[in-house]
Amino acid sequence: MSTKEQQERIELLQGTLDLLILRTLLPGPTHGHAIAKAIEFRSDDVLQVEQGSLYPALHRLIKRGWISVQDGTSEHNRRAKFYRLTARGRRQLQVETGNWEKLAGAIARILRPAPTEGES
Amino acid sequence: MSRRKRMMENLNQEIRDFIERETQDNIERGMSPDEARYAALRKFGNMTQVEEETWAVWSFVWLEQLWQDVRCGLRQLHRNPGFTLVATLTLALGIGANTAIFSAVYAVLLKPLPFAHPGQLVRVFEANDRAGIGGEGCSYPEFQEWRRQNHVFSGMAAIQGHELNLTGRGEPMVVKVGDVTADFFPLLGVPPLAGRAFLPPDDDEGAAPVAVLSEGLWRSRFGADPNLIGKAIDLDKRSFTVVGVMPAGFRFSLDGRGGQLWIPIVQDPTFGPLAKRPNLGSFTAIARLKPEVTAAEGRAEMEALGNPLVQQYHPGDRGRTIRIASLREAMTGDAPAPLLVLLAAVGLVLLIACANVANLLLARATSRAREFAMRAALGAGRIRILRQLLTESAVLGLLGAAVGMALAYWGVQGLSGLLPPGFPRAESIRVDGSVLAFALLLSIGASLLFGLAPALFAADPQLHAALQESGGRPGEGKGRRRARNLLVTAEVALAMVLVVGAGLLIRSFAALLAVDPGFETRNIMKAEVSLPRFQYSTPQQWVAFSNEALARIQAQPDLHDTAVALPLPLADQSCNLSFSIANGAPQPPGTNHTADYVAVSPNYFQVIGIPLLRGRTFTAQDVMSTPRVAIISEELARTYFPNRDPLGQQLVFGFPPDTNVKREIVGVVGDVRDAALNKRPGPMMYVPFNQAPLWGVGLVIKTSSSAAAAANEIRAKVHEVDRDLPVTDVGWMFEAVDVSLGQAHLRTWLLGLFGALALVLAAAGIFGVISYSVSRRRREFGLRMALGASEQEVLRLVLKEALRLALAGVAAGLVLAVGLARLISSLLYGVRPADPATLIAAPLLLTGAALLAAYLPARRATRVDPMAALRYE
Repeated sequence: MSTKEQQERIELLQGTLDLLILRTLLPGPTHGHAIAKAIEFRSDDVLQVEQGSLYPALHRLIKRGWISVQDGTSEHNRRAKFYRLTARGRRQLQVETGNWEKLAGAIARILRPAPTEGES
Repeated sequence: MSRRKRMMENLNQEIRDFIERETQDNIERGMSPDEARYAALRKFGNMTQVEEETWAVWSFVWLEQLWQDVRCGLRQLHRNPGFTLVATLTLALGIGANTAIFSAVYAVLLKPLPFAHPGQLVRVFEANDRAGIGGEGCSYPEFQEWRRQNHVFSGMAAIQGHELNLTGRGEPMVVKVGDVTADFFPLLGVPPLAGRAFLPPDDDEGAAPVAVLSEGLWRSRFGADPNLIGKAIDLDKRSFTVVGVMPAGFRFSLDGRGGQLWIPIVQDPTFGPLAKRPNLGSFTAIARLKPEVTAAEGRAEMEALGNPLVQQYHPGDRGRTIRIASLREAMTGDAPAPLLVLLAAVGLVLLIACANVANLLLARATSRAREFAMRAALGAGRIRILRQLLTESAVLGLLGAAVGMALAYWGVQGLSGLLPPGFPRAESIRVDGSVLAFALLLSIGASLLFGLAPALFAADPQLHAALQESGGRPGEGKGRRRARNLLVTAEVALAMVLVVGAGLLIRSFAALLAVDPGFETRNIMKAEVSLPRFQYSTPQQWVAFSNEALARIQAQPDLHDTAVALPLPLADQSCNLSFSIANGAPQPPGTNHTADYVAVSPNYFQVIGIPLLRGRTFTAQDVMSTPRVAIISEELARTYFPNRDPLGQQLVFGFPPDTNVKREIVGVVGDVRDAALNKRPGPMMYVPFNQAPLWGVGLVIKTSSSAAAAANEIRAKVHEVDRDLPVTDVGWMFEAVDVSLGQAHLRTWLLGLFGALALVLAAAGIFGVISYSVSRRRREFGLRMALGASEQEVLRLVLKEALRLALAGVAAGLVLAVGLARLISSLLYGVRPADPATLIAAPLLLTGAALLAAYLPARRATRVDPMAALRYE
């Protein structure tokens, strides 16, 4: 194991995994392992996805009607379950992305050096 | 479970694929296969846990929340033991009473009859609306015509009830015998437990006498002897071969007559000969509609068939038709009306109980307002809070149902003991699965009823806004106070309906008790001896036996005042016979002039205390060889001889072969209620037993000795004459009166109980509302007293509030009660539905109870310390 893995990886915030999955599925249907890989790859291996938690999250999303699942064949002609974003999921992705940006912005403002008296 | 299994297998497969891909990736990155697989597994985490969590996404969320809410509800109940106890008991009383009454309603009205396709079974009977004749049986030849000519029934059977003496193997006993045609058992579709049912040849005249036993008789009398089939038993001293035994659940009773064993009609000593006569005998006909025939079609066909047949068998009887009714209707008789009234009554009790609990919950919701504000602030939605509160209500409701079911179980046991004999389907009244399901549904429904309003108020978002502003003590909104007042007013109104209903029944019952039956019931014992018809077949034999037995009994010093009468007053069967007046105007056909026929010994009127109004009583000289005489009742004299002296006139009546015998009226006696206490005395005609006897002997004895001693002496004396005769129905005459009042007594008692329950619950409701109001107005009372108001004035203030609520409820209830009282008019005797005494007493009672309930909290209001209350501001 590299030192980077041990020191720089951070755990996902509660609820953000759902958002990441929705975003990952935006380009097209994908199977479970590919989703996990995509999240790790796009975050430059910074985000540590406990791979197991992927499945409860996927099912939660199915139940809410944001993604759907169907059987398909993967790259090596293997059968696998493919997850696909639904129309509702697409809308949800927009909402959640907006929320996330607001949250991130707010936290960023708080973490900025304190402004001087009278400015606010 | 299979859904879970299928999903888990899919998931498991997918996870293994995932790990394989990860392993492959790792190998491509240069790890050894083992290392690669190990790393992949480690990165994935606990596989089983992942599977469980994934499954939980689908299944356990709502269940867990429900469990949370249930636990929360239980905690709440545990934390407020006083509230829990009061609410549970209130609900238990309501649910228990409903469950108990429902078990009777279910057994009598809803539970399918224990026969194959019971919906197809009907009773066929004759009626004449013009003459006011409801359901009459038919003669046997008529029945045969019906069976031969109709196209709508797949089978038809005639039945008749009778009692015969079963002798041999132990004490002689009287058994209830069902006389049936051979089609009876196949028609009902119940196969025998052992042996065979009847076959068509058994109906033929001259066939060997056969009998089918009920399981009960087979067990109790013959020790469930498996070899009884093919053996002979003695009925009225005639030998019958047992051919079959019916299973334990097989019971068939109609018109209060059930069978312990069955024989073909032709074999019955009384009804066999009657079966040949074209216009005699009231056989009951039952039939099974063909599957494709509706009841309406059956009715139409029988009506069409009836026209020529009625002309043939009842010439001149206009308006007479053949009808059909479902067998269930025929079997339940007039039991449904009081049952439905009782069911409605317990329904009202439950509504009152719900209103009480709702009021308690409303009060509690106010004090819990902060808790809900907190939950709402923490993100609980309105729906979530509603759900939690309703779950709490449901927990309370189920708790009430559990206790209520125990109450119902005991109630039903008690009820079964109280049911008057002959109550239809009494044996199937019990707390079974269907009844429990009803109780469960009822408790859920009740929970919604009492929980919804408080929950809606508690989950009201405006309240939370108000709470934030006031910041401290939660206030009670106007809407909520109005809801509480409305609930308690409704309670009083419903209680009013029940109290009026109970009052009317109690007044009727008192009127019934005050009724003079026309004869003495104290110190008078009665007993019956039934004679075997094959041994004692001639009137001479009946007279000889009666005189012999009477002489032996009268020889006992304490039984000297013994008389013979048949049938006895208030016995099951009265003997109604048509008569005509000799030399009178011919009566129009189709109208029946009937009177109750009784054969008595000369001293009967003196022993039982029926006054002789005119003429003479019978004497020892009135026998078969002397001129025929009769004594009539005052009612008959008044109706048929309004302006004439009945003495010396002649009536024509009698049993075959003496149907056309003229009898001279020699006396007039007082009226008696011989059929039932609630039936007005009808016309009666008495004949000397020694001149016109009936089978068997009824005894009335005026005695001061104990019932047991007298019974033993009577038995001994009868057995001196004939060892094989059972003496039955021994008891005091007033006990027969009680039996005659049985149904009225039971329903009065029950409705009285429910009325009292309603009264107490309504009073408790008033108490709760006023207590709560007083506790909220402490400061106001303190202020008033500080400003000089006296204790009296404060007391009056509080009582006035209670009085306002009570009067509103009483007024609404009075309107309701007057409207509803008409529905129970069929249960009333001697009082009108709008009985002034009841309609005055009930409001006074309720208002009094309300003021009494308000008095305690009102006293508390006067004890408010003005200084302490003011300091509180």
